[in-house]
Amino acid sequence: MGAEEIVRKIKEEAEAECEKIISDAEANRRKRLAEARAEAEEQKKSFVAASEQKAREEKEGVVRAARLNARKVRWDAEEKIIAEVLEEAAKALKEVKKNGFKGRSYSEILAGLIKDAAVSVVAAGAGSSSELEVRLSEEDASFVTPEMLKELSAEVERSTRGGVKVRLSVSGERIKSEGGVVVSGRGGKVEVNNTFEQRMARLSSGLREEIVKSLFAEK
Amino acid sequence: MAVEALKLIKEGEERGRRLKEEATVKAAKILEDAEAEVRLVKEKALEDEKKLAAQILEKYRKEGEQAEAEIMKNAAAEAEKRKSLAESNRDSAVSVVLEKTLGLR
Repeated sequence: MGAEEIVRKIKEEAEAECEKIISDAEANRRKRLAEARAEAEEQKKSFVAASEQKAREEKEGVVRAARLNARKVRWDAEEKIIAEVLEEAAKALKEVKKNGFKGRSYSEILAGLIKDAAVSVVAAGAGSSSELEVRLSEEDASFVTPEMLKELSAEVERSTRGGVKVRLSVSGERIKSEGGVVVSGRGGKVEVNNTFEQRMARLSSGLREEIVKSLFAEK
Repeated sequence: MAVEALKLIKEGEERGRRLKEEATVKAAKILEDAEAEVRLVKEKALEDEKKLAAQILEKYRKEGEQAEAEIMKNAAAEAEKRKSLAESNRDSAVSVVLEKTLGLR
């Protein structure tokens, strides 16, 4: 082999090696970029998923709060109307004394409240006889007569099937109330408060339910 | 003659070595550029992620706002409807309270 031939061979080998170095570098470059892109794409996917999750949770929080708020709006509106109804009823109670209610005079209504309370007092602990005191407001005392109490005593007795002798009498003690009665056994051990205020308070939860039922009944 | 040949071969080898050196430098530059490109890819991806996150947040924020407005609108409408229903039933509700309070029910 001549010198020129050797030089040509050296040149060819060097060029081939150079080409390999460059093509390896290019391949590395492509591989590195492809990896970086894939990694970025993967990272983007999980970042998007996390962002979506976070944003969805925030939205759900807003919706939950709105639902609560909406319930409060409805509740507040309902409560306002219920309060108005109770207020109106309290005002109407004053009219009942003058005009009665649903065909009943106030005396008849008081008689019903006295009987109801008396039956409860008797049931709660009377022996074979019961002396019951009826306490009223100054205003209401004029609606109750001795005849009425006599008749009511008999009615209460009948409700015990004659087992208890009942005698109702009006106490000299007056109560402060918009209306209604307090009935107690002698000695005041058992007492039933049937004043309007107490009845409204006692009935309040059931009353609220009844008011809601009446107010929002579709006709 | 042999000296001349050796000189030629040495020069050839020297050229070959220089070529390889140049190729190595060029390859290093290619890899260096690739790293810069990778950095750019990462930066761009980060930027895209931020933009996407903002878009996603905005999309859900709007949806949340719309849902909230819808819920409150419905609640107000329902409250109004119930109010007018209650208004027409008010007398009977007052009557119920009176009946209960007066012991007629």
